[in-house]
Amino acid sequence: MSNTIKNVLEWLEQTAKRLPNKTAFDDGNEQICFEDVRDKAQKISAGLHRILKDVNLPIAVLSGRNVNTPIAFLGVVYAGCFYAPLDATAPTGRLKIILKNLHPAALVVSDEFQDLAAELLEDDSVQTVSLEELMQSDVTDEDLAYFRSVREAMQPEDPLYVIHTSGSSGVPKGVLTGHASLINYIDAYTKVMGITQVDILGNQSPLDYIAAIRDIYIPLKTGASTYIIPKKDFTAPALLFADMTEKKVTSIGWSVNALTIPANMGVFEKGRPEYLNKICFSGSVMPCKVLRIWQENLPDAKYVNQYGPTEATASCTYYEIPGIVSDDDILPIGKPYDNYEVFLLNEDLNLTKDGEIGEICVGGPVLSLGYINAPELTAKSFIKDPRGGDGIVYKTGDLGSMAADGNLLFHGRKDRQIKHLGHRVELGEIEEAAKRVDGINECVSLYKEESEQIYLFYTGSATTKEIAVALRKTLPGFMVPRKFILLEQMPELANGKVDMQSLKSML
Amino acid sequence: MKEDLRAILEEIRPDVDFDNETELIDGGVLESMDIVAIVGEIKEAFDVTIGIEQLTPENFNSEDAILELIEQLMEEE
Repeated sequence: MSNTIKNVLEWLEQTAKRLPNKTAFDDGNEQICFEDVRDKAQKISAGLHRILKDVNLPIAVLSGRNVNTPIAFLGVVYAGCFYAPLDATAPTGRLKIILKNLHPAALVVSDEFQDLAAELLEDDSVQTVSLEELMQSDVTDEDLAYFRSVREAMQPEDPLYVIHTSGSSGVPKGVLTGHASLINYIDAYTKVMGITQVDILGNQSPLDYIAAIRDIYIPLKTGASTYIIPKKDFTAPALLFADMTEKKVTSIGWSVNALTIPANMGVFEKGRPEYLNKICFSGSVMPCKVLRIWQENLPDAKYVNQYGPTEATASCTYYEIPGIVSDDDILPIGKPYDNYEVFLLNEDLNLTKDGEIGEICVGGPVLSLGYINAPELTAKSFIKDPRGGDGIVYKTGDLGSMAADGNLLFHGRKDRQIKHLGHRVELGEIEEAAKRVDGINECVSLYKEESEQIYLFYTGSATTKEIAVALRKTLPGFMVPRKFILLEQMPELANGKVDMQSLKSML
Repeated sequence: MKEDLRAILEEIRPDVDFDNETELIDGGVLESMDIVAIVGEIKEAFDVTIGIEQLTPENFNSEDAILELIEQLMEEE
């Protein structure tokens, strides 16, 4: 546990040597063992090496929900570069914006998405390479020597991945993170959850999303396996728990939403995931009513509430739930993971007094490296530590207070960011997209928390259907409002600004 | 009844071509929140409860399949 490594590939190589034939990833159709993960990643890298001119370049990856995707990521890392996973289900308009900002040195595409890639790059010069072809490359002794030299030259802070998240200006932000931060987080999370090689993780998160880093890297570190649960198990959950029992899933780190849906739909009436004993949830506030359903059905499991933004490498605090909760309990977000520094600053960037609400800020060698190709945005949120020293601190935009027992409590957002179905959503990004739809004059997006619905209030001549269809071309499905309210005119305050309170009363 | 169901589906997902789509679940067209909303609206409109064992891709892959499920549940009650 304490032997620090500087590159995630050291985990892979140690485990491939120790447990060569043990399953690393299973997607329901295919299983792949650690040795094959290593060998296939090296093949990808050898193929990439032949076309790339340098190291430390961004490589976009467009592939599906299957075992080849983590291998593609690791292949990019062997080549001394960093990967930017793209969500193939995202609208092409959004993917084009991401690619334009990212300037990848190459786009690695699995065969099923070749048409999409051609559409994305019609007017661009980015080189596209087939993932399947890369996996057929020969690995020569020269290649192996090259991988070694790349590894020796790299620094622990060198970038590992770019993961995109909603941006209020309408352009998604690419959060760039280095090996050292990821390694620190995986070490800390594994310790808190007590995960070892006997565990089988049940992956729920899309593989391009931040939460998937646990399911990808914990196996490499510990020798555990990850079962990539098919998406339809979550949409139509009749078979979700039976499937998890068949695969002997012991440990999950899911969005709150993914735990809420089966609990509220009564999936426990038909059975439970028999082997599950470690449950971590994050992404939004867990309703205690839902948590209790899980606790009553799986009383021996460990439950951990986790908090933190992508910019702090997935998470920064955790709280192990000590016993069965009551409906009106408030769950703390807890204490910092190892090496994370978490504190509260007021508007003047001074530490808050005991018990006062302030902005949650994170420091330590755990932060991401900032937003790729967006220095101004980075400078706004990643600031010099106002407490002194030359460290950098990330301002989360979340509000918190410290309870007397040293546990952090969460108090919502400073701005208009919401958490919806486990995703960060900037309401401003929805408005920017809606303003570009023909037939919309003015619009305001609001969130109704009780029913977890995004609303769009608008004036103009567009129909609900026209707006929904148009928005789906630029926004991911979860960001498209499900309620559209046409107004004669926007309610205004005396100063001419939109009267948000009046709109909120219409939710 | 078909019209009522169509109204429910279109209110939740106006962008989907319910006339022709036959892989609403297997093709990843509907999201889990959509299913939650559809099940709730069906309960209200048709007074039938869709049990967990019926929440399968087969029952939700097309408008016709959903309609068949509702009819079957109405007969049982």
